Amino acid sequence: MALQLFKIADVTVASPVTIVTFNNIPSGYTDLILKYSARSTTTTTALQTLFNNDQNAANYNYRSVSGNGASVVNDAQTNWYFSVSNPSNATALTFSSGEIYIPNYTSSNQKSLSVDSVTENNATAVVTQLLVGRWTGTAAITRIDFYQLSGSTDTNSTFTLYGVL
Amino acid sequence: MAIRSLKTGTFTRSGMAGNPVIMPGSYESIATVDVGAGGAATITFSNIPQTYTHLQIRCFARTTGPTNGENTYIYFNNTSNGTGYAWHVVRGDGASVVGAGGANARIVANVGTTNTTSTYSAMIIDVLDYSNTNKNKTVRNLYGWDANGSGYIGLASTLVPQTAATTQIDIDLAYNFGQYSTFALYGVN
Repeated sequence: MALQLFKIADVTVASPVTIVTFNNIPSGYTDLILKYSARSTTTTTALQTLFNNDQNAANYNYRSVSGNGASVVNDAQTNWYFSVSNPSNATALTFSSGEIYIPNYTSSNQKSLSVDSVTENNATAVVTQLLVGRWTGTAAITRIDFYQLSGSTDTNSTFTLYGVL
Repeated sequence: MAIRSLKTGTFTRSGMAGNPVIMPGSYESIATVDVGAGGAATITFSNIPQTYTHLQIRCFARTTGPTNGENTYIYFNNTSNGTGYAWHVVRGDGASVVGAGGANARIVANVGTTNTTSTYSAMIIDVLDYSNTNKNKTVRNLYGWDANGSGYIGLASTLVPQTAATTQIDIDLAYNFGQYSTFALYGVN
């Protein structure tokens, strides 16, 4: 049987925006998957991912292994930089590709997630990142927001949210 | 059975009492290639419909070549490796981790025949916004193989410098893909 995936909502950025929001996420699924293809209006790549509009960075943690095209960075932080966007100085018309998997998003326990995401560029500098994250919230996830660390999410970026049964 | 409104495209459950509720999914099989005894030099998915949002290829593959880790390449729209392609990877082999990149359409390494009988690599390849003509295509590939003594786990990406809608995908390597390799293309609505 094919993967039981159901589109909940999608966003295509028509002009640069500071925030992309999925709100009123229904609780009827087992897990969530979010596929995104994004570009920033600035040279930073960090894409902040917030749950239920919790804007306290202390409630988020992650560990990641990232390639930069030439070497590897092991990282662990208390923060919400779970995703990456192509920076504005990468090859024109080129966007990142990422997938966030959030199992058991309605659990009354803290939430874990896994992310594999890449930026691309016809040069050495990229981010190729495997990440696991945690959000300490115990409420069901009903809202997900994406903010660029700097600048805006650029035109033609897309975000698609799926429910998994 | 589900009933689809021709006007709105939305699905609703059948009004007939006793029928099971069938929810239409967003993940659909487009095509599958099973490699036979003679092997296959290239795996081709052509005439890819433009009715989905994203594509995913799930692969179970090995090469007939002599060496573990043979490079594999991906081409879109029957355009071979050319100017503007790039690849990058982060991978671990159980002992160390490497970040690397280059200027061609490489996506991954496969398992070689002579070293690893009946061992296959696994790959999940995503192509987001494959029909979007406003962007080049970024391929993301989560892959790995374990030959009981050697292997990799990796995340690779490929920049395909084409804004055209993707109607054909070729997966290629220097030797053949071995028997029982399978490649399944899915559309994600």
